[in-house]
Amino acid sequence: MDKIFAIEKPKFGGILEYPKMEISSGNTTFIQGASGAGKSTLLKLLNATLTPEEGEIYYAGKDISEMDTIELRKEVILIGQNVYLFDETIRENFRMYYAYRDLPAPDDETMKKYLKLCHADFRLEESCVRLSGGERQRIYIAICISFLPKVIMMDEPTSALDASTAGKVLGNLKAFCRENGITMIVVSHDEKLSEDYADEVITIERRGN
Amino acid sequence: MGVVEINLAQFALIYVLLLVVLFIMKRSKINQSKLLLVASFRMTVQLVLAGLVLTYILENPHPLFTVAYIIAMTTFATIRVLNQNKELNKKFKLAIGLSLAGSGTLIVFFFVQIVVGMDFFNPQYTIPLSGMIFGNAMTGLSLALKSFNENLKAQRNRVESLLYLGVTPKKILLPFVNNALETALVPTMNRMMGMGIISLPGMMTGQILSGTLPMTAILYQIAIMIAITAVVCLAVFAALIFGYKTLYNDRNQITI
Repeated sequence: MDKIFAIEKPKFGGILEYPKMEISSGNTTFIQGASGAGKSTLLKLLNATLTPEEGEIYYAGKDISEMDTIELRKEVILIGQNVYLFDETIRENFRMYYAYRDLPAPDDETMKKYLKLCHADFRLEESCVRLSGGERQRIYIAICISFLPKVIMMDEPTSALDASTAGKVLGNLKAFCRENGITMIVVSHDEKLSEDYADEVITIERRGN
Repeated sequence: MGVVEINLAQFALIYVLLLVVLFIMKRSKINQSKLLLVASFRMTVQLVLAGLVLTYILENPHPLFTVAYIIAMTTFATIRVLNQNKELNKKFKLAIGLSLAGSGTLIVFFFVQIVVGMDFFNPQYTIPLSGMIFGNAMTGLSLALKSFNENLKAQRNRVESLLYLGVTPKKILLPFVNNALETALVPTMNRMMGMGIISLPGMMTGQILSGTLPMTAILYQIAIMIAITAVVCLAVFAALIFGYKTLYNDRNQITI
């Protein structure tokens, strides 16, 4: 299987030091490790919202330090731990995120399809203000996946979900990503989840003091 | 009809009003009596000094004095704005200083030289008008920067989420710039709304007290209000439009 990411010992912030790692294209890779091991930072290094002090990261064979970061991030979307939705309806949120990306808003059917995929099939007129943390998380994932990136990275995507919903959402996403050739990278504390859905698991050790 | 000179002994009576404030503050357990005393003392000393300097300058008008006064005013205004926004980076601070100096000088020049038709270096017009223009620009900038910084902090998730999705920092940050500009402009526009009905503004009152015809005084007042609106708009717009670009690097990473 092709490698989508080759990670050549990047260092960050004077304390984080990663080993040599590779992430396979089209797979679901889980990243695990103790808190403070730098899992979230690794995801930010991969989409160049942070730059390593040393070492290189290659995306699809190209050194990301020489790539246009905006183009890279459009292909390698990161869903952070704290998702954001505008204080508007679900439809309006799709529209606003698409406008930020200079894209025309998808039609209602497309929105509904992605919401359903993430077990967030609320009415499109529903205001996001009143939704719970877990509901907002799922809607945000639906918006992100609808952009059809090459890689989707999720930092604790199920932190606000109960175990059963988390499993369903991840199962659907994995099947969808496999079908569409999307690589999924997931940081999660939930070992059960990684047992059930990971094709590969990378464990990062905490280094130094 | 000239102005009645205030007798110094009678003038001292105005300080009695401070005792009223002090009394009420004590009763209401507002622990700021030291601030009240220091502030009124500082105001007195600063204004006496300004009075002395202005007397000297008006008696010995020289372009250099006018220029020096404007430079001093810009410097103090910039320092005050920056002291309230210490966390900004150096380039952002430079953008603020230059925007304040540039837009303030431009508006004062337009007002004095072109609208009033006086020599820009004539201290009698340029110095008091600069005071009002720079003072208001300073307040507007403080307000705008405070709102800009607070909104960025409060909406950190929004900034990060958009960045992670491949949106350019420019697109992410511009709405915050526009919002801050609006925050700074609205109070000035509201002041125009109430002008003449709710408030007889300071400059107009001063001119009338010193014997100017009310119709002349209102022309100046209208002109200064429009000039203030313009300077707030220009200074805030320039400071933020140059300033926000210092918040990200060439790798499109936002560094706040």
